[in-house]
Amino acid sequence: MAIVLDGIVFGLQLSLLAVGLTLIYGLGGVLNLAHGQLVVVAGIAGAVTISAGAAIPVAVVLAVAAAAALAWLLDATLLRPVYRLTGERRVLLSLLVTLGVAFLLDGILITTHPFTALNLSVPGPAIDILGVRMRSGSVVASIIAVTALAAVLAFLRLSRFGRAVRSVIQDEEGAALCGVNLPLTRTVVFVLSGVMAGLFAITQGLISSVGATSGLDFTILALIVTVVGGLGRVSGALVAGLVLGIVHAVSSFYIGAFVTFVILLGVAMLTILIRPTGIFGGGAR
Amino acid sequence: MTAPVPSADGATPSAATCRHTTLRAYLPVAIAAAVLAAVPLALGGSGYLMSLATTALVFAAYAIGMNVIFGSSGQLFLCLGALAGVAGFTSVLLADDQGWPLALSVTTGVVLATAIGALFSWVAVRRNLGVIFVGIVTLAFSLVFTNLVQGLRTLTGGETGRVVDAGGAALRGPISSYYLFLGVVVGFLALYRWLEGSRTGWAWRALKDDPVAAELAGVDVARARILAGTIGAAMVGLIGALFAHHEAFISPTSYAFAHVDVRVLIVIAFGGIGSLLGPVVGAVMLGVIDEVLRPLGQLRLAVYGALLLALFLGFRRGVVPAVADVVTTWRRARTPSDAPAAGRGIRASKH
Repeated sequence: MAIVLDGIVFGLQLSLLAVGLTLIYGLGGVLNLAHGQLVVVAGIAGAVTISAGAAIPVAVVLAVAAAAALAWLLDATLLRPVYRLTGERRVLLSLLVTLGVAFLLDGILITTHPFTALNLSVPGPAIDILGVRMRSGSVVASIIAVTALAAVLAFLRLSRFGRAVRSVIQDEEGAALCGVNLPLTRTVVFVLSGVMAGLFAITQGLISSVGATSGLDFTILALIVTVVGGLGRVSGALVAGLVLGIVHAVSSFYIGAFVTFVILLGVAMLTILIRPTGIFGGGAR
Repeated sequence: MTAPVPSADGATPSAATCRHTTLRAYLPVAIAAAVLAAVPLALGGSGYLMSLATTALVFAAYAIGMNVIFGSSGQLFLCLGALAGVAGFTSVLLADDQGWPLALSVTTGVVLATAIGALFSWVAVRRNLGVIFVGIVTLAFSLVFTNLVQGLRTLTGGETGRVVDAGGAALRGPISSYYLFLGVVVGFLALYRWLEGSRTGWAWRALKDDPVAAELAGVDVARARILAGTIGAAMVGLIGALFAHHEAFISPTSYAFAHVDVRVLIVIAFGGIGSLLGPVVGAVMLGVIDEVLRPLGQLRLAVYGALLLALFLGFRRGVVPAVADVVTTWRRARTPSDAPAAGRGIRASKH
């Protein structure tokens, strides 16, 4: 039971990470291979702020803002030429460009902050949930993840802008013809995904740590969840995150970390080969 | 297309022109071979410079393989390093631990890598996977490979790697190994040229322009794609296996995604995706950059990232073709009465 709860805690975070990735892909066909680096930038920004003597809440806000700002910058500069293309060409160029960004950021961050890592510890005793003692950090992380996910879903389902986003996901040209401002929609969603990546960095900092070298790992985790949930499907990413989080926890406990990672990658590959639209895609997007 | 194939010769394989241009088509290959064969003389037998030159040849060969897979048929394989590594580790394990003769172990490694490449291509074609899915599946395979190598410590030596005994003088000597890899590169170039002029090359060009139209025009798109994945994987596997025995050491680092795939993308983007000699020019450029950047350490990653960005955003057709076009325009401007050669005429009309 304790393992499953751990899995759910991790799964909620995976969902948080993957929803951002899947939204951008669904919206414009851009698969952001630098998603994990957004997390790392947030983590390092937070860690640097804390070591400069700032209060934790200030550091948290700054960390999330850093990821959001970077996401905005990416969208406003490097991805502009990408959006000028259509179809497969856009997908291909987006892969190559974001891969370049990932390595660019990795190189800079690993060189300048090799030993910086975000570690947030929450004071307070362990809390009993369903008869299992949970670290308070895990509880806080889960609360953050659930709140953020609920807010994003509510935003997409209920607000006028959210409806615009969903219309673009369904049909880019049609939405544009109906007066949806495509560039603005993309920018907002990109920043939103940056915020989610920043929040993921915070929750990850609460449970373990975020360092300069973990960018690619985060990207891959998000990619696995996104693929299993069905590329571009928000609900799929939510469910897949939870399921894979539990799989991850159980398998790490009984089998080991190396094999677990291979299993997750295998699940993603099999998903693509057997059902490219995702296992948990369903009808709802 | 992000990068149209600058196919100078053999755009239409009509029998008459084919026979006429057969020998001329291989002229660039022969010139490249002659120039590269003179390199050891120019370097004066310095062991260090020779090893740099050999590495450049290795990357030129990887890039030719990538040109076959990606440049010709648009399949984004992000697992070149893993394919090379599969062949490398298979060959080393068989030769060193099982005592197989080198030729047999290398062949087995290459066959395995080829089979995996063919499988990816086959599945991608059968399931009609787009570039995104091919990219993700192959990237996942890269990571599976790295994790397996690191996990199977007793066999592979884990992250630190292991010493390779099987090799022989030809593969190890600085000059002889250079000529060996040069032979492979020239062989690959000739094969690439031959493929370009064949029916398969014609099918590749058709499907790169528009797969649906190609299919409707009677091109066997599935066959052309699978053939590209298979041949390219075989090339990459061969180089991966030879490289392990040449280095006398094998570790996951030399086949890592960041080490092979990213740099090969830079090489083909610089040389022009799908161009014949682009891989060679790009690999030489990469070798120079590597050497200049050596003191930077990890910051080199950032430079590779920036290069990838600059090349794919700025020179989507490749730096070499872009420069060649400028030169062509300049020459034509100087001698306007000169009728453009057939090849150049085709290229100009394509863009």
